[in-house]
Amino acid sequence: MRFDSAAADRVMAIALLALGSAMTWGGFVMDRLEIRQIHPASIPGLVPMILGVAMMVCAVLLALNADDVERKEAEEGSWRSFAFTALWSCFFSVILVSRIPFVAATAIYVAGFAGWFLLPAKPVAKRLKTALFIITFGIIIAVAVSTLFRYGFLVRLP
Amino acid sequence: MEALQQFGLALGALLTPISLFHVAWATLLGIFVGSLPGLTATMGVALLTTLTYTLERDAAILVLICMYVGAIYGGSRSAILLNIPGTPASAATSLDGFPLAQRGEAGYAMGLATAGSAFGTLVGILLLVLLAPPLAEIAFDFGSFEFFWLAVFGIVISGQLTGGIAPLKGYIAGLLGLMVAMIGSEGLHAHVRFNLGFDQLNGGIGLIPAMVGAFGFAEVLTVMYRRKAELSRGTGKADRVLPRLWDLAKYKFTILQSGVIGTLIGIIPGVGEDIGAWASYAAARRTSREKDEFGKGSKEGLTAAETGNSAVVPGALIPALTLAVPGSAPAAVLIAALFLHGIRPGPMIMIEQPTFIYSVAAMLVLATLAITIYGLSLTRLFILVLRIPREYLMPVVFTLCVIGPYALTQRVFDIWVMVVFGLIGFVLRQMNYPMAPLVLGIILGALLDKSLRRGLTLTDGDLTPFFTRPISAIFVIVILLSIAAGLKPVRRAVARLEQPRRERTDT
Repeated sequence: MRFDSAAADRVMAIALLALGSAMTWGGFVMDRLEIRQIHPASIPGLVPMILGVAMMVCAVLLALNADDVERKEAEEGSWRSFAFTALWSCFFSVILVSRIPFVAATAIYVAGFAGWFLLPAKPVAKRLKTALFIITFGIIIAVAVSTLFRYGFLVRLP
Repeated sequence: MEALQQFGLALGALLTPISLFHVAWATLLGIFVGSLPGLTATMGVALLTTLTYTLERDAAILVLICMYVGAIYGGSRSAILLNIPGTPASAATSLDGFPLAQRGEAGYAMGLATAGSAFGTLVGILLLVLLAPPLAEIAFDFGSFEFFWLAVFGIVISGQLTGGIAPLKGYIAGLLGLMVAMIGSEGLHAHVRFNLGFDQLNGGIGLIPAMVGAFGFAEVLTVMYRRKAELSRGTGKADRVLPRLWDLAKYKFTILQSGVIGTLIGIIPGVGEDIGAWASYAAARRTSREKDEFGKGSKEGLTAAETGNSAVVPGALIPALTLAVPGSAPAAVLIAALFLHGIRPGPMIMIEQPTFIYSVAAMLVLATLAITIYGLSLTRLFILVLRIPREYLMPVVFTLCVIGPYALTQRVFDIWVMVVFGLIGFVLRQMNYPMAPLVLGIILGALLDKSLRRGLTLTDGDLTPFFTRPISAIFVIVILLSIAAGLKPVRRAVARLEQPRRERTDT
């Protein structure tokens, strides 16, 4: 299924309808702060309820118009590259950062990222040289970024 | 006259070696950021906000404005040389810039783009100095009712214009932004909403992590997903870079027209540089004697697009400074940066910081001077920058996306927020949902929420003043007209009415 297609719009419409319903319900059951004797028109759930209803209306319109929308030509791209970038970046930011020193995490991430994309494209004879260059690049970037934030901006690194 | 005097004083105060040093590096960095496909002005300003928060107030704002101006201008480099706009603002530039580059006139195209950008920004600065103080005075008459409609107007118009052929997606993006803004402690009774059990969400979603994710991480994912771009065949040939005075004189009306259009588009909340460029390009095409050349390497088209997108920058700062409502996505980050540095944008700015608007105008002038000097002298360097492999550049960008939001609050939770917004941002972009209304929604959510409930409290639940106060009534009419203009039957009717006129013009 393409991202910009009638089917994708319908799936999105269902998700938005659920989100709108949840927001409306959340606003409806939200504490009305009667104990603090606030004005009934200023209850915290008022705007979330309005937004939820507006989102449900938009979701219905999105589903109804899904077949009539003019679509741009699909963009060519590599889902493999996307998947690696997303997973590796999430691994770095959610798992590595805060578990090992930031400088080490960054060096691993940068070198791993460049290596994944660049090494397979090189002839076997040149791979060792390229790998060494990539590792050096990763270490230099990690040290430079960490030094800049640690000593330049006085940030306690994660 | 007083405005001119204030502006002169502000400019004089900025002419110190350290300020000029900040102008030099920040504008150059901005041009690099803008010229690299995948790195946008919003992302550059957002990342630099995290890097400049230890700087002194004026220095930090100067750096961010130089980054903004530089990045919007820098987008033209890759639009001309790669046929890929470095930033969305340069999409119209590529229509005529790339054909010129293919004809071996890449240098001259970049020179024209430089001149157009410089003149566009100058027209915008003039209008900023003239319009911002009276607008701030008008804003004194705004109460809760008007601010509520201003927030609704921002979301509707931004959704309408950035949604393009599908305004509904623009509205949905705006609503999503407003929903995000509902998370955390609300402004009237400090009641925590929708924190989903995470204490870290009690303060709401931070604008900077959200924007770095939606514009930074999402861009990294998009760049790696796309196929690699090729440099134009015409690149590297030694053609003239300095624009001929004859060409500039010939297009003086186009430059003025595009500058004014760009600035006015900039004033409209959350619309931004890309729409400014397209509107200026379309207007120039309509009035041009060389209509047929447009899209095939028209120098007039290139000049109009670049003048238009650059004029949006000062234009977008007009509502940002006087109403705290951003005219574009980078201006939204600038508002956040202003708050970080103790400046409260909004109607009170002319009372609390009476000279600040003139300081901003002076900063824009220095940034314009810098892009002109760099643009005409460093053409070869920019071509070299475009050759940096994305496989080396993107992990560095993502590392900055991770450490930037963390640096502001020292919370790992903000890194997770950035990642979530990046993934959602990528999916929404692929589905053709514009990002500007989403950002505007996050910014305007609190204003809309507080203004509606405060207004209803003042009137004891009566909605009438929301429709009968003069400024509110004007907002309501404009909002209804905007929504009606996006409806399919209305658009079909307008197209039918325009058909005979278009046929007459073509013949």
